[in-house]
Amino acid sequence: MSTNTISKPVAKANPLYDWVDERLGVSEMMAFARHKTVPVHAQSFWYYWGGISLFLFLVQCFTGVLLLVYYRPGAEAYESVRQITFVMHFGWLIRSAHAWSANLMIFSVLVHMFSVYFMKAYRKPREFGWLSGMALLGIASVFGFSGYLLPMDELSYFATKVGLEIPSAIPWIGPAIATMLRGGPEVGEFTVQRFFALHVVVLPALFIPLLAFHLWLVQRHGNAAPPSIEALPASQRKSMPFFPNFIRKDLAMWLISLNVLALLASVFPWALGKQADSLVPAPAGIHPEWYFMSPFEMLKLLGNILPGEAGEIAGLLLFTLGIALWILIPFYDTAKESGQRARAAHYFGLLAVVLLLSTTVIGYWATR
Amino acid sequence: MNYPFWDIPILGSGWVIGLIAIFHVMISQFAVGGGLYLPLAEKKALAMSDAKMHDAWLAQLVNHSRFFLILTGVFGTISGVGIWFAIGLTHPEATSTLIHNFVFGWAIEWVFFVVELTTAAVYYYTWNKIDAKLHLAVGWVYAGASLCTLVIINGILTFMLTPGDTWISVAGTGHEASKFWNAFFNPTYWPSLCLRTCVCASLAGIWALITASRIDGDKQPALKSSLVKWSVKWLVPSFVLMPFLMIWYYMMVPASQQALLALGIDTIGSGTFSVVTRMALVIIVTSATIVGVAYYLAYRNPVEFNLSHALAVLMLALMATGAGEYSREMLRKPYVIGRWMYSNGVRVPYVARINQEGYLSRSNWVWGSTGTGGNSASSYSRGEAIFRGECGSCHTLNGYRPLTQLLEGRDRANIGSFISMLHDYKADSPYHKFMPPMVGTKQDVDDLTGFLNAQVNPPGAQKPVQTAMAQK
Repeated sequence: MSTNTISKPVAKANPLYDWVDERLGVSEMMAFARHKTVPVHAQSFWYYWGGISLFLFLVQCFTGVLLLVYYRPGAEAYESVRQITFVMHFGWLIRSAHAWSANLMIFSVLVHMFSVYFMKAYRKPREFGWLSGMALLGIASVFGFSGYLLPMDELSYFATKVGLEIPSAIPWIGPAIATMLRGGPEVGEFTVQRFFALHVVVLPALFIPLLAFHLWLVQRHGNAAPPSIEALPASQRKSMPFFPNFIRKDLAMWLISLNVLALLASVFPWALGKQADSLVPAPAGIHPEWYFMSPFEMLKLLGNILPGEAGEIAGLLLFTLGIALWILIPFYDTAKESGQRARAAHYFGLLAVVLLLSTTVIGYWATR
Repeated sequence: MNYPFWDIPILGSGWVIGLIAIFHVMISQFAVGGGLYLPLAEKKALAMSDAKMHDAWLAQLVNHSRFFLILTGVFGTISGVGIWFAIGLTHPEATSTLIHNFVFGWAIEWVFFVVELTTAAVYYYTWNKIDAKLHLAVGWVYAGASLCTLVIINGILTFMLTPGDTWISVAGTGHEASKFWNAFFNPTYWPSLCLRTCVCASLAGIWALITASRIDGDKQPALKSSLVKWSVKWLVPSFVLMPFLMIWYYMMVPASQQALLALGIDTIGSGTFSVVTRMALVIIVTSATIVGVAYYLAYRNPVEFNLSHALAVLMLALMATGAGEYSREMLRKPYVIGRWMYSNGVRVPYVARINQEGYLSRSNWVWGSTGTGGNSASSYSRGEAIFRGECGSCHTLNGYRPLTQLLEGRDRANIGSFISMLHDYKADSPYHKFMPPMVGTKQDVDDLTGFLNAQVNPPGAQKPVQTAMAQK
């Protein structure tokens, strides 16, 4: 038996791999990835949502660059989108994939955020991971808002008009901010140009470095296990190697996401409405995108309780306070063990989920 | 319109069949594929030299056969009967034709059902109670009986798409059953049988992954690893053969349906391709995803493969199966039985007669439809009856394929000319390929127009833009 072991042929060296390895240190990276582990427990499923969000962002980069080749901001915006959708070969598919992946990304980021929140993965030493994640969500929302206007069809035009009413409601400086975003008193071709610059230059320039920072933090601190798992003795905690086990599963999730995206894009292609016309009245049922529906509806409901400017200001203050509390949660719920603050943070999270879901449903019900 | 109409608002009656059928196909094809999986797995276990592994495999197969018995014996049979109820209510004319033609085929199939259900129960309840060889033989009897149910039902399903020239030549003469075998072994019979058999094998592997995923990988890593990997291999034949079988199937469908698919493929680039092509794409993309996901999640990580992973694969299979059944139905358009009966139950040779006598002339179920007997129906109610009979198989007013939305923006004259176009049914009409003609007299066209106009432009609502423009 020992003879067999000695005579067993050694794996042949790959000259190309060696050449690359010598220069880039691939082996060291692989060794690091193999050494790194991911906790395995009943809630492990939620770990994949960060990867799914990243995948959908990559899809948007790819499809966005292709759209950029034919899209013309300004007065010709609608016509160029019409050409992309109906004239260019596979233009409809690229546009649909871009729009659907944007929506799916916001959805997966929200799932990722709530799973991080309820697993209390924002606690020490992951506070920067939470803060950078919140900043990424904020930028992703602006990505969505700015991208929504670019086709300049009826729906996007009026939805943007409605959406810009939110910053307008900020006391004193609100109207100035809204005018700056619009590039004038009304939504028009200058708004499209501004939103386009924001969408393809400013936001990516902010998003990509922040995303790199966020991913680096994930690599540095690893995946956090829920407090109930962390409380177990080390011998009872299970884990799997990040490479290749977790990566293989992540790839499977990416495949499923790609499948869902392909189905949505091909079976329900993203529609293009009539060209925007500021002179015609807004069609019935105009509402913001689903991820803005909740704040939109909350402000509307508060406006009903407190009519006039007072209601608008109160709504904005309450909303800002809620977001600030949400962002600052790692500095409130700091203790490892379960205590009053941990419970309060948990109930605050549940309240946020209930509020988001109920106001979204009410919003759609009201505009149906 | 010989039968009363089963009105399902919003969803449409077609989807009632569709939803039950997709659920049923997922289970019934597992019943066939699983019928092969169980005895083959048992045979493999019996041949194992490692006693521990032999016992562990057999213990797991006992669990799997219990799951199999409950799923196929309860949910499979209930949904199968559900399809009978649904097709009888939704498509009474087509069901009547099928029964008249295939009554003995169905009788034989029911005999096999009885054998299938009995042997499935015997197989489960006699584990470790009878001789191993005899138990295995029971498994093989089950496999044979369940495969025979597929062999028979496949003939009836494919007949609906391609009844064949011989059967068509006697259709309507009262001697249709004399051409039973021609109708049964119709042009798409063999490619469809091969396709479905491959799908059955895949579903056997996918459902087996559900029970295998429940094995504790920490306690029995060798058992879980071997069973998960063996189950994944059941997906291979299907994914190797599927492209060739699909080409074979495509070559056997009628030229008009081939043209529909070819047109769909040609127009993918411009995004105007047909629903059937979209669904065909869904099948291809989802099937490829199943292979990738099964490889990464199951084959390469068998010990860590858990129930949620297995459910993900199952959901993808459900998507592919649903798309497959939907495209099969869509491919038949504008018929429910190829070249013989349109999707709204109107027999092709009856069109000229109905155009002369009127759609409701022999409709005993429509109250006062003939305008005789003291209960003269209004134009509106006649229009409503015609809508239900001629449009309701595929359209609803406000739900699935909603006519109020599809006709939105048209005024009465415009709706009328659209219906007249469907009535004339010229060969170059864009609707010719997938919609039946509107049949009936001029009065019928007018009645239907009036009814639809009242739905699209209800009294008191703002006039459609086109009318306003025309008045200017």
